[in-house]
Amino acid sequence: MNPILEKLFENGEPDAAAVDAFIADNDFPLVDSSDVTFVFRGEADAIYLRIWISGLDTAQAFAPLEGTDLWAATIDLPKGSRVEYKFEVVRDGHGELILDPLNPVKAHDPFGANSVCQGFGYERPHWTYDLPESNKGRLESLTVQSAVFGDERTVQVYLPARFRLNRRFGLLIVHDGVDYLKFAALQTVLDNLIQALEIPPLIVALTQSPDRLNEYAGDDRHAKYIADELLPALYDAYPLIDDPRSRCIMGASFGGVASLHTAWRNQGLFGRLLLQSGSFAFSDIGRHKRDPVFDPVVEFMNDFRDSPGIPSERIYMSCGMYESLIYENRSLIPKLQGQGIDVLFEEARDAHNWENWRDRLRSGLSWLFPGPQWMVYE
Amino acid sequence: MSTETPRRLLLGPQRPTINLGDAIEASGIEARSLAVISAGWQEAENDIDEIRDVVGLPLADLCLYGRTESLLRDHEDLASDYRARQDRLQQQQRLYRLRLKQLAIAARHTLKASGDADILAAEQRHAVAQLRALDRHHLKRTTSVYEQFARTWNTETLPAIDEHRREIADILDANDGVIITGGNIAILLNRLSLFGMADLLADRTIIAWSAGAMVLADRIVLFHDRMPQGRREPEVLSAGLGLVRGHVFLPDPTGRLRLRDRPRIGLMARRFAPDKCVTLVSGASVEFGGTSVVGVSLAQRLGKKGQLTRVRAA
Repeated sequence: MNPILEKLFENGEPDAAAVDAFIADNDFPLVDSSDVTFVFRGEADAIYLRIWISGLDTAQAFAPLEGTDLWAATIDLPKGSRVEYKFEVVRDGHGELILDPLNPVKAHDPFGANSVCQGFGYERPHWTYDLPESNKGRLESLTVQSAVFGDERTVQVYLPARFRLNRRFGLLIVHDGVDYLKFAALQTVLDNLIQALEIPPLIVALTQSPDRLNEYAGDDRHAKYIADELLPALYDAYPLIDDPRSRCIMGASFGGVASLHTAWRNQGLFGRLLLQSGSFAFSDIGRHKRDPVFDPVVEFMNDFRDSPGIPSERIYMSCGMYESLIYENRSLIPKLQGQGIDVLFEEARDAHNWENWRDRLRSGLSWLFPGPQWMVYE
Repeated sequence: MSTETPRRLLLGPQRPTINLGDAIEASGIEARSLAVISAGWQEAENDIDEIRDVVGLPLADLCLYGRTESLLRDHEDLASDYRARQDRLQQQQRLYRLRLKQLAIAARHTLKASGDADILAAEQRHAVAQLRALDRHHLKRTTSVYEQFARTWNTETLPAIDEHRREIADILDANDGVIITGGNIAILLNRLSLFGMADLLADRTIIAWSAGAMVLADRIVLFHDRMPQGRREPEVLSAGLGLVRGHVFLPDPTGRLRLRDRPRIGLMARRFAPDKCVTLVSGASVEFGGTSVVGVSLAQRLGKKGQLTRVRAA
């Protein structure tokens, strides 16, 4: 049992006032160096910890704590881990997913919010916070007419604080870019990394697909849209360096697939790739076991694994150790390195979520676009 | 030209603490107007309004960055040789870095080793000496690259350089001193060297901060222990203008150096001795009269045992 809980019960069953004090005096969940104890207070038929970590059961039962209305569940959690979770509270045969009422730390994504457990030693990086000393970039919209998709697309464009028309800038294209802004603090991160000279000032195109599960899944139309429509529009509108080493395309999950696919279909165009938790499902033989939405992804990845070519000369990849995709991501590394590609792969004790992707941005961006900090003394 | 000892007022970064105006006032430098070199700011070179507000004096922008860009645009051969020189310097720096990394690791391990004191002392001396020899070699090689370029491109071989240099000299003559800002040290150095600024600045009052201070030393040392991909060994970039002798300047030490890593700091001090490694935090100032420190605030010196000691006026 967690030592704080043990102390609560050291003189037998605690009364309501003692439980009140226990709740008021502690931060939840209770974090130890090697495990975490989740606590729920209230009446229920059963409580489950719903946690999406590959390797652990997705539902772990809480145990009622004798003589109180407290429930607790303990899981092993290595140092530095960060996981997202919900509670499933079962009453009268009905389960309801709720956020942890005792934990104010939440993470948001396009589907809502999760509670966040920051394991022993995890600290949110300082450069993900809005720092007053950082000069702020700005966002503007660019409209791109797409013959490929037969529609008009609006792209948000980040211009760095010291944007000047007489300078030339590197370009970063971000799949699900608006989500990166909302859920991974991308604008704040860019402002801070540029201010700290850890990356050079960049122009960042933030794309958002109306149909990402199809367009990002190895769809040749998407690769053509990026290469033949979006890029020329960006080069017309902004002072960009015309060199593959100054062009990067990135994304997470299916956005990672879209990035790799676009670079593979247009080899030599993007000298830099940033792939986070890419949904790089493949099959060595037979049919894959994932959702049918992965069918075109598997088709692309199988083709890619047969003939990887050189999608980019430098690739940064990251993946959470608690993701089911860790196997696919790890297995891609030797394929890429075998092509002579310079690859940096980082694993984090985290899962498939935006804050994992946020926390890796400094490492990925500064490796792909080293800033001038070595030479600049302001 | 003045026969007095030229004054050099060197400051730390002007963020977050702006001490430029106060330091000038405290030093007693009397100026009616000042020239400015802000080439380290590159395209933002001309954004000197904030400096004007702080010093409260008329400023004349020397536009060394802009002048260089215009020369490179107008003279294709110069631009081509300039690029070739930069390629050579970069290659030189890569090879130096390759060798430096191994020697620095070996030196640090040797300095941390335990055992017979006599044996250790000899090996430690030799380990540091090897680093110093490599630094000297690199300095010699980069100096030679700069000299070769200067022999080809100078006021005699390209009249346009001479015209710019005369204009710069006239502006300097019309002002009571020159401010050199921080910024990109390599770009600043290259612009200064193209116009032979070491001679033009030798007898002037100079007020400089960060990269501007570093470039005045005999040699320029690059350093940063907190890079996103991990720390790098301090590197000699090349010779500076040699207008403040016997010192290596280290701006923003709290942001850039692991000051509590005493073996690392101690090695830095031993490696660059007899030059004194002087830190310049934001708000710091050191004033030199010749080679002597005549005024100082907040500046510290790295010691051979990794300790920091206050710099004191002579």
